[in-house]
Amino acid sequence: MNRTFGALALLFILGVLLIVANPQYGLKFGLGGSDWQKYRYTDQYYIEHGIEEVGGTNIVTDIVFDYRGYDTLGEATVLFTAIAGAVALLRPWRRDEDGE
Amino acid sequence: MENDMGLIVKTMARATIPLIGIFGAYVISHGHLTPGGGFQGGATVAGAGILFLVVFGLNEAKKRYDKNLYSALEGLGGLAFLGAAMLGLSIAFFYNILWRDKIAFAGQPGTLLSAGYLPIMNLAVGLKVFTGLVSAMMAIALFRRWKK
Repeated sequence: MNRTFGALALLFILGVLLIVANPQYGLKFGLGGSDWQKYRYTDQYYIEHGIEEVGGTNIVTDIVFDYRGYDTLGEATVLFTAIAGAVALLRPWRRDEDGE
Repeated sequence: MENDMGLIVKTMARATIPLIGIFGAYVISHGHLTPGGGFQGGATVAGAGILFLVVFGLNEAKKRYDKNLYSALEGLGGLAFLGAAMLGLSIAFFYNILWRDKIAFAGQPGTLLSAGYLPIMNLAVGLKVFTGLVSAMMAIALFRRWKK
């Protein structure tokens, strides 16, 4: 009984999401149509100028390592800090050995 | 000794770990040409290391894991990334001077030796992610505190 109810609820939520996210008559997030081209011109700029300005045929790598290099630098710093924190927190403490 | 897996799993791991490593190295070195890059390839190679740790057990992995070497390599990867970003510091940070002034790695777009500092950065980030993830996994496996 509970399982059937759960499955029906999941189906209902999926249907609601399908209706809400429909581009024809659902909710609209941000701009649409020609406004999109007007205000978010950087997308088209990367596609057109990425190969000549950065040189890589993989546009995502061009963006990640050149146009948005600071973001990647911060990401590498976050990875380094996370691993340093994990090692510092998980290593055995002196108090643990005393208690045993 | 008791935390490794059976013979079938070990044989399959011996066959697949080199292939996973080769695929990760391909993803890293072709990061500026095909989908993927330093992060994804480094995580793939680290997946081979984690498979080794899971299959052959902690004692076998501890013999092959050198903490000082791995932390030094991670620092080297981060410094190489920063150094490649600082190459064009006379104009701007993260200025791709190797490609724009045709100094090195300046072949046709689409060949392996192209795109300026992008291959260097991919190698650095791949090294950093690989050593970092393996270090984190070894820390989690080594320092667990629950009793037997």
